[in-house]
Amino acid sequence: MNSIMYDTYTIFWRELKRYKKSRSGVLIRLIQPAIWIIVVGNIFSETQPLIQSVGFEGEYIEFMAPGVIILTAIFTSIFGGVNTLWDRRYGFMNKALTSPISRSAIALGKMAAISLIAALQASLIIGIALAIGVTFPNPLMIIPIMGIVILFSLGFSGISVSLAATAKSQETFWGMINLLGMPLFMLSPALFPLELLPNWLAVIAKLNPVTYTVLLVRELMTGVSEGGVPIWISIIVLFAFVITMVAITSYVFTREVNKPF
Amino acid sequence: MYSIETTSLTKSFGDLVAVNDVSFSVKKGEIFGFLGPNGAGKSTTMMIFTTLLKPTSGKALIAGFDVMKDAKHVRENIGFVQQETTVDEYLTGRENLLLQSKLNHIPKNEINKRIDEVLDLIELSDKQHQAVVTYSGGMRKRLDIAGGLLHHPKVLFLDEPTVGLDIQTRRKIWQYIKKIHIEFDMTIFLTTHYMEEADNLCDRIGIIDGGKIQVIDSPENMKNALGNEIISLVVENNSNHDLFLAELKKIEFIKKINEENLKLILFTSNGTEVIPKIFQISSDLGIKIVTLSLTQPTLDDVFISYTGHEIRDDKSKFNRKIEHAKMKRLRA
Repeated sequence: MNSIMYDTYTIFWRELKRYKKSRSGVLIRLIQPAIWIIVVGNIFSETQPLIQSVGFEGEYIEFMAPGVIILTAIFTSIFGGVNTLWDRRYGFMNKALTSPISRSAIALGKMAAISLIAALQASLIIGIALAIGVTFPNPLMIIPIMGIVILFSLGFSGISVSLAATAKSQETFWGMINLLGMPLFMLSPALFPLELLPNWLAVIAKLNPVTYTVLLVRELMTGVSEGGVPIWISIIVLFAFVITMVAITSYVFTREVNKPF
Repeated sequence: MYSIETTSLTKSFGDLVAVNDVSFSVKKGEIFGFLGPNGAGKSTTMMIFTTLLKPTSGKALIAGFDVMKDAKHVRENIGFVQQETTVDEYLTGRENLLLQSKLNHIPKNEINKRIDEVLDLIELSDKQHQAVVTYSGGMRKRLDIAGGLLHHPKVLFLDEPTVGLDIQTRRKIWQYIKKIHIEFDMTIFLTTHYMEEADNLCDRIGIIDGGKIQVIDSPENMKNALGNEIISLVVENNSNHDLFLAELKKIEFIKKINEENLKLILFTSNGTEVIPKIFQISSDLGIKIVTLSLTQPTLDDVFISYTGHEIRDDKSKFNRKIEHAKMKRLRA
């Protein structure tokens, strides 16, 4: 157990070192969520009455800011696994596989690094949100919000790492990522309240872990609970999602890297 | 005491047998080379030894541990330097070695000492704080080799250590490999398709072709077994050709004859006496000799004599494609 922690940290350290040396990417990856919060937040500002109908008193942009924080987390973590493919192509993976570290530790280290990077990106988006006038009733809430973003991204990066370990090519990987990323974001209350969805869509949305994460962040950020889901259920769903993804990813990753690339 | 022991090792991908019933042993402290064309099964064998692939059947012991049952102990005792350079470009040389030390569970208080030691050995101490992206191809290769030494493995695997490097750099890498061998007293197993490399570095060579080992011996013995001279001649087509061959085989100094259409290669121990006899026979049979030359054997000739074709042959390229397709299908 001790050695798995050490090995996970080794891979985590390596991923973060690489991230630090490719800083230009940080700003580029911020552009998309920034456009969402600035452009979409203003385009839909007239929908305030709709939001108010479900008991939310603030501006639309304050309603959707938690959604954009999660959007950042979704896309940073779902793209994050792509270097698994490069590692297999350029031999780092074989180097790690012929050393005594455990296979699961490679996957876990990558996931941990991706989730920290996602949290960094999300904190920059919170900064942008504050700059364009979104207010926090309780600034201390930023601490649990970051905790939730880290946990959520840890689980979500598992999807990316598993897909990258399974995919034979970049094309397959990006295809799968596009297939999953946007729908999971759209089928959540990130942009509009759950109550406004048609029934059948609401049912699908309630099967989506993104939904519970958005509700949780929104409740902490604005103090409004929405969607009729108690906070403890959201917390349980989030933890269950993370634990399941960690387990699935270590299994899938270990199985896939033992096959020839 | 053997560092590598393998018995009837076989690996097949579908109907393609990449490694076919291979058995051999490598002594402790030996430099052993696997020589063969692309697609001969060298890399597959090395992947089995380094626990990256599981054999279809047979057994392999590395440093006394079974690659199937005891993979973790095998990994603790081997260093593996891959064909392509695998260092992280954006990290510095030292950071790369630090990463490698951690991957190999080197105790914390030993790490710095070990890194200094290998940096000194491969003469990169002055460049250690520069990002690897600024290194030349030869320097990257040296850094990669250094990474394989940090944990003082019992067996070092080098897959095509000098492929893609220029001739001076290649010689430099050979010097480092020899230095490592003396200083760490480790067993080195390498694959190569350069005759010169095998000749220069290896105590013993195994020639592998089509997944099978054709011969294992020291480079010297291999060359001597062919006699000390080679006569190559090209003749014009003639109905007496078969008779001509039969007569040549009767000459006592000729050890072996290889035939490629009308080109004949005769391995002999006494060329100067053989040549007049060849002319005698050919004029008796009315066969016209187009060219004739007398040379000393090289490992190239050894290779041809055992496999019947040159190391860079179209046939082997074809095999490689099949192997690749099979591997891809396996992953689906």
